[in-house]
Amino acid sequence: MLKVSAVSKAFGTIRAVEGVSFHVSEGEIYGLIGPNGAGKTTTISMVCGLLRPDAGEIYVQGKLFSANPGEAKRLMGVTPQDLALYEELTGRENLEFWGRIAGLKAAEARARAGELLEALSLSDRAKDTVKTYSGGMKRRINLGCALLHRPRLLLLDEPTVGIDPQARARILEFISGLRASGTSILYTTHYLEEAETLCQRIGIIDYGKVLAEGTLSQLQERLGEGLVFTVEADFGGSVPAEWDGFAAHFRVLQKSDSQLVVAALGRRDPSDCLKELLELPVRLQNVSLKRPSLNDVFLQLTGRQLRE
Amino acid sequence: MLRALISKDLRRVWRNPMPWLLNLALPILIVAIIGIVFGGGGGNDNSLGRIKFAVVDEDKSPLADFLRGAANQGKAGQYLEPVFLERAAAEEQLKEDKLSAVLVIPAGFASNYLGGRKVQLELVKNPAEQIHPAVLEELLEVVVSGLNAISRNFKAEFPAWREVIQGNGDYHDAARLIERTGDKLQAARQYLFPPLVGYTNSAGEAAPAAGAGSNSGASTSGTKDKAAPKFNVFAYLLPGMAGMFLLMLASQGMTDLHRELSRRTFERYHTLHERLLPFVAGKALFTAVIVSMGAAIILGGGQWLFGFRWPRPLELGLLTLAYVCFATGLMTLSVAFVSDEHRAATLNNVLSMILSMAGGCMFPTEQLPAVMREYFSRLLPTYWFATTARELLWWQAPWHIAAAKLVGLGAVLLGLAVFVFKRRFQKGAR
Repeated sequence: MLKVSAVSKAFGTIRAVEGVSFHVSEGEIYGLIGPNGAGKTTTISMVCGLLRPDAGEIYVQGKLFSANPGEAKRLMGVTPQDLALYEELTGRENLEFWGRIAGLKAAEARARAGELLEALSLSDRAKDTVKTYSGGMKRRINLGCALLHRPRLLLLDEPTVGIDPQARARILEFISGLRASGTSILYTTHYLEEAETLCQRIGIIDYGKVLAEGTLSQLQERLGEGLVFTVEADFGGSVPAEWDGFAAHFRVLQKSDSQLVVAALGRRDPSDCLKELLELPVRLQNVSLKRPSLNDVFLQLTGRQLRE
Repeated sequence: MLRALISKDLRRVWRNPMPWLLNLALPILIVAIIGIVFGGGGGNDNSLGRIKFAVVDEDKSPLADFLRGAANQGKAGQYLEPVFLERAAAEEQLKEDKLSAVLVIPAGFASNYLGGRKVQLELVKNPAEQIHPAVLEELLEVVVSGLNAISRNFKAEFPAWREVIQGNGDYHDAARLIERTGDKLQAARQYLFPPLVGYTNSAGEAAPAAGAGSNSGASTSGTKDKAAPKFNVFAYLLPGMAGMFLLMLASQGMTDLHRELSRRTFERYHTLHERLLPFVAGKALFTAVIVSMGAAIILGGGQWLFGFRWPRPLELGLLTLAYVCFATGLMTLSVAFVSDEHRAATLNNVLSMILSMAGGCMFPTEQLPAVMREYFSRLLPTYWFATTARELLWWQAPWHIAAAKLVGLGAVLLGLAVFVFKRRFQKGAR
């Protein structure tokens, strides 16, 4: 449905996006995760035609975007990260207006707005002005405004940012429903748990480059067999490189003064790993084993936490 | 789509009208304050009363007599109170603040005029007064325009008239000349704006132009006192104030485009459409609609509030629509150049005030330095609008010329704005 091929964008001397490539298949949710400033919004802006790439190509349904942007845009719905709503208008008026702008006839826009208000659980507040809505409700209307014309490709730029967990769960449920109805979705977020639960494939982006891409399990495999240990200790100036045989069995994902996050290399028995860690030449306080998360993958790739 | 864009904006205005109402209420409030200070509101007719001025006739010719007479003939006598004095006495009374102005008809006026030579009427204004001298100057401009029109159209008759005035022709020649000139005047009447002779002949038509009560051309003798039109200070002030605040209203309308940018709604539109000019066109149309509504409220509401009637509402309405076109064009161009809302709003307000002050909206241009008045003010669209709207109070001023100029300028400004916007969009919507 969407193919992004080696796109780059610079703002002056800042290279916001550099050679980014990925694709979104029909009916798939592709997650683009990365910290703030990683290049997610710039990438989405290029995909939806708000920005022109300095290099690279974008294809929508096999057709070059730049050859006929109008046609490509008709297939797309975009939910921007910032709320793009008229606060003085009611929820229904906002939906109807964007429906008209998307090319629907007045009656069609009215009917579709009703459907979406129902689906987004906002029917009871349809006649209230948006400025009286809670953050979660505004997010839902913001999402709904992109759906009036039933787009086949939906671009969601951090659609759940700044809202409470309950409202987020509602939105995620709605997005899952959209995927079930065949909509392809490009989803950017820095909430890893959202990407883990929602996306079929994930691309990790940082400093404008896609560092890794694949399904969640494929990404986890980058950490070996999936054993990640957190060691809390008083290291007292001692460094892993000085420890005998440590580098042959573990890869350091992150190290601070009091904590070490390591991934076991190769197919290892957890109890053997634990035993080796307990014998480290430091004053240990705690050793714990956990299932590797996207954050660990990100840690491995960048050496820092996703939300740093 | 344009309909959807405009109705969306009108809805937003309806839901949050305060910022807009301010620009509608302020001109009415200012007019009320100035009007009351300068004599309106004191009586039951809100009039300024008659304007007292001196006529110094240094020519003593029949033509000068005619001009003298015109000053207090017919309905003119209801607005004007001329006194006929020698120059020294007139200047003395002016100093004592007993007169608003002194009109000097110089020696040789008639012979020079009929001889096709340049003549100059002199108006000495009382510097202590603002409105009355300004009104007199505008009326004098009417007279001068009339004399110029006569000079252009009746030049061939001037030698014969000069003979008659100098007492060289006999009564038969004079009668034939009067008859011939009368026929020509009748035929050319509609083209002569303002026909000086028409002023005296059609006092009934000219009278309601003072804009203070009667709504038809002729007043009957029975209702003369009750419906007699008088110069209305509010009617005089309102077009100027409207000129300034309509610009500000247009600024408010167009800078809404910046709000669309900062609220990302413009971006959302861009995600749906590649061509952005329709969105800008929608905003410009919305601005034109809101400014037109504002004009109707200021001018129509002002009329109702201050108890007068515009003598030529259709002409004033068309002139105002032309001004709306200019205001929209100007503010669209400003927004095209300045990409920040606060900067654009500040620039537009400063621009509106400069244009309004220099164009005679806030106070008569006669108060401005001569250089500015003669070489700058007359070039300004605000001047075209305010002056023509005021002239429409008294006579069938050539409003269509001013309107054509305003529409033309508005179209040029809009064209430039489209060009600038296109260039900006080519570089990226942000």
